[in-house]
Amino acid sequence: MTTNNLYKHRDTKIQSSFLKASVPLYLCVSFDLLFGVAVLLFFGLAYPHHLHYQEQYQLFLFDSTYAWEIIKQPGGTADLLGRFCTQFFLYAWVGALIIALLLSAVQLLTLRLVGRGWLYGLSFVPSFLLWLFLLDENALQGGVWAVLLTLLAAFVITEHKDTKTQSGSAKCEEAKRSIRRKYFVSSCLCVPLIILLYWMAGPVCFPIPIDSLWLDAHYYRYPTVFPWLLWAASISVFVIVGLVLLIRHRLKYFSHFSPLTSYLSFALVAVVMGTLVWKDANFKAEKVMQYDFMATHQQWNRILETVNAEKPNNQIGVTVQNLALAMHGMLLDHMFEYNQNGIAGLLPDVKEDATSPMPTAEAFYQLGMVNVAQRTVFEAQEAILDFQKSGRCYKRLAQTNLINGQYEVARKYLMALRKTLFYRGWADETLPLLGDEEAIARHPEYGRLRQYAYKEDLTGDFYFSDRVTPEMLESLYYTNTDNRLAYQYLLAYYMLTGDRERYNQFMSRKQ
Amino acid sequence: MKKNIHSYTLFLAAAIWLLSSCAKHPDVPSSSKEAKCLPAIFPDYCDVTIPCNIAPLNFMLPAVEYESCVARLTTPDGSQQTYGKGVKVQIPLQEWRDMLDASKGKSIKVEVWGQKEGEWLSFIPFEIHVAEEPIDEYLSYRLIEPSYVAWTYMEIAQRNLTTFEETQVFNNEITMNDREKGQCINCHSYQNYKTENMLFHVRLSNSGTVIVNDGKVSKVNLKRDYTISSGVYPSWHPTEKLIAFSTDVTRQGFHTQNPNKLEVYDEASDLILYDVKTDSVSVVSEDPDLLEVYPTWSPDGRYLYYCKSVPLPEEMRDKDIRTTYPKIQYNLYRRSFDVKTHAFGDEELVYDAAVQNKSATLPRISPDGRYLLFAQGQYGCFHIRHNDGDIVCMPLDQGFPLTQGIDLSKVNSEGRPDSYPSWSSNGHWMMVASRREDGNFCRVYFSYFHDGKAEKAFMLPQEDPELNTFLLKSYNRPEFMVEPVRISVSEFSKVFDK
Repeated sequence: MTTNNLYKHRDTKIQSSFLKASVPLYLCVSFDLLFGVAVLLFFGLAYPHHLHYQEQYQLFLFDSTYAWEIIKQPGGTADLLGRFCTQFFLYAWVGALIIALLLSAVQLLTLRLVGRGWLYGLSFVPSFLLWLFLLDENALQGGVWAVLLTLLAAFVITEHKDTKTQSGSAKCEEAKRSIRRKYFVSSCLCVPLIILLYWMAGPVCFPIPIDSLWLDAHYYRYPTVFPWLLWAASISVFVIVGLVLLIRHRLKYFSHFSPLTSYLSFALVAVVMGTLVWKDANFKAEKVMQYDFMATHQQWNRILETVNAEKPNNQIGVTVQNLALAMHGMLLDHMFEYNQNGIAGLLPDVKEDATSPMPTAEAFYQLGMVNVAQRTVFEAQEAILDFQKSGRCYKRLAQTNLINGQYEVARKYLMALRKTLFYRGWADETLPLLGDEEAIARHPEYGRLRQYAYKEDLTGDFYFSDRVTPEMLESLYYTNTDNRLAYQYLLAYYMLTGDRERYNQFMSRKQ
Repeated sequence: MKKNIHSYTLFLAAAIWLLSSCAKHPDVPSSSKEAKCLPAIFPDYCDVTIPCNIAPLNFMLPAVEYESCVARLTTPDGSQQTYGKGVKVQIPLQEWRDMLDASKGKSIKVEVWGQKEGEWLSFIPFEIHVAEEPIDEYLSYRLIEPSYVAWTYMEIAQRNLTTFEETQVFNNEITMNDREKGQCINCHSYQNYKTENMLFHVRLSNSGTVIVNDGKVSKVNLKRDYTISSGVYPSWHPTEKLIAFSTDVTRQGFHTQNPNKLEVYDEASDLILYDVKTDSVSVVSEDPDLLEVYPTWSPDGRYLYYCKSVPLPEEMRDKDIRTTYPKIQYNLYRRSFDVKTHAFGDEELVYDAAVQNKSATLPRISPDGRYLLFAQGQYGCFHIRHNDGDIVCMPLDQGFPLTQGIDLSKVNSEGRPDSYPSWSSNGHWMMVASRREDGNFCRVYFSYFHDGKAEKAFMLPQEDPELNTFLLKSYNRPEFMVEPVRISVSEFSKVFDK
């Protein structure tokens, strides 16, 4: 399918003035490019951490079993393509480019159906609706692919229809019969093709808002949530095409419309939908995701720069801020210069969701509470509501098992990561460490965390339920008094709870 | 013309390469160096005794060390066949069945060659002994991540042991009406290895116990005002429509350092008897100070065996569980049962584990009623999480309390959890759930048992032997069945619509 084909207007065949190409081809290309660039800049500059968030809650494996398990479901092809694209979201600009290309492709295909007449602006509506859909961090790329695949199918069908139109002009009866026969055969083929399309794209290709149909398809992370924006994007194509057909029959009423209307329709759609996108964007969540991202990548300096520019007022932000302060040895002296949230801002209770425990798990890990970090990450991964796995979690589970000396378990996670595009290199670097005690001891991170970890002979094991206690931090500190992070967290714990007695007890014992 | 010849040659070469790579029976290496050791095959099937109807014992050499593997299997009638593709040896089902038929009561000789850095090594041959006794045709288990508290997708699956066919009995997705709350499915159990009468629990979202009574499915609530919880660990009476359950208030704690990672414990537990016909629950045992758990019937249905905790020392009784958990130990008891009156007799101490500073759980009596199998660790009731968890087998003909055990050193692993033992219906195959491979992911092992002697345990065979490495799920609560569950997942799900 070439660009020329896409832009090729059918109005040379259809005698309708309203569909006449009132928008020149070069302007169509320019508007489409403008739209693509807007999408790219939005996701690249304003929404990059939403893309990182998406990436961290899936693990795309280059594995036939994995692919087959997805593809055999209704909408599986769209889902697989969506997951494939999402793995690139590790690099936000690449992710933004992918989304820009997908949304532009949807616009082009809709344009193919609508034409460059005065309804030209409507060709952007499905893409804008998908853009709105993607503002939600739980909206999955599979949904976009489902709409795209459906439009591609519609494109193929309309091409086929053109062939039929040609058959009408055939002079020879025999040739007509032959063409009709071919048309009959291909129409019969439409039935299995529609079934195939349903299998590939899922219920998006049928605009029927039936829960049971939609719940089977993997378009949204919460399977029980009906993705109405995606449905709106899908159905808008049908509505727009219907509108075009309707107007075609009422041509005389619209024939006097000026070509300027085409530009106005574009401007109207761009302004209205663009405003909706901007208003609907969740920049608060973006900020929270930014803190989580910075903690994941241990960007302690950047975290401090960010909190100095704008003090965080959410739990994840405060947790990450305190961790960054502690990593710089500044927690005790400077913690009250920033927003605090009691213990919930230092080591919050682990909740049963996939997002909030992750920064806390990072703090546990850096403290040397390896088992606790492992448990927290494991629980977070299990809480991913669409049953996916996470590259970030697999990586941390491999690390904690490696530090604990459970090499065979670490190997399992590493071997799985070797089947990915972007974690493979790290897995290959880490695999030789398994069982190599000396190399682990020399490793700047694993060696240090092994030294910090609780040791039975010194302080004994600690048995706990769901909440981290000061006794655990105290025990951690006395396991290795070089652990300055444990020292800061313990004293911060007493300071945040106002427990002067235990603070004094600890200080006197230390002296 | 020249171009055509070139293309034809390329096509021919590709076809030959394709055909040769598809060959099922590779040649034995013409020359090799003697390795003077047994091959490090995975799973370890060297010198094991297997049932005469088991699926092919496919295996592999470690891919990090070897490039290729060739195995030659020789049956007692002298016929030989070679296998090997890459580092894996995968034997076609029919050829394997023919070999088993020819070797029943005898052995299959296995010679293995491994190619390492271009050089072929020949290992010391080993034997696979084929017992005359078959194993039960089906096995069911829950496939679950070895989780702490949260869980994700889980399923109860059934596996045909004579093939590699695995099908789903139920999954936790199909009837969940509250995704955030989640749904846990557990404790599948069958009457006398048959599936016409069976059950499993569904917790949280859409909760209840799904009971199949003569093939008819229903969902019941086993919680009564006078019980501390609904039914938990079940055991079907072998002949009557009765199910003994423990009722448990179960909690978990987590270790900061201990490699066991977590501890599952009961704050309270009792025993109840559920009458399927009348939907009535009666209390069997409810000592307020002690914990009764894991009931199991003797094969004749005349005794109910169970575990009961030993009283804690006086000074520890009011202490926090964080201090007392390593001191909670269970002994094995039994009570006689009158099938007509449903009356239980007095309690008998079967095995005093605490006197040896041990804790015994999960008793299972052999189908001939002669042996008792159970899991044992130093403390607690959840030995599948304890690295010292081992399986113990004791003859029942020595008078109570039992003291003399049978050597199960070929069944148990060193320093890794072994638990959840059970017997096949003919009493010749022991089954154990074990985390022996990596300490984390449970796999199923079988051991041949004959005349009071247990042979080396071997892992449940898989079509792709590497599955045992890559599968990031645990096989939980493996149970033998002599027939498959014939009720489909969708049929089970219908009871949740009512």
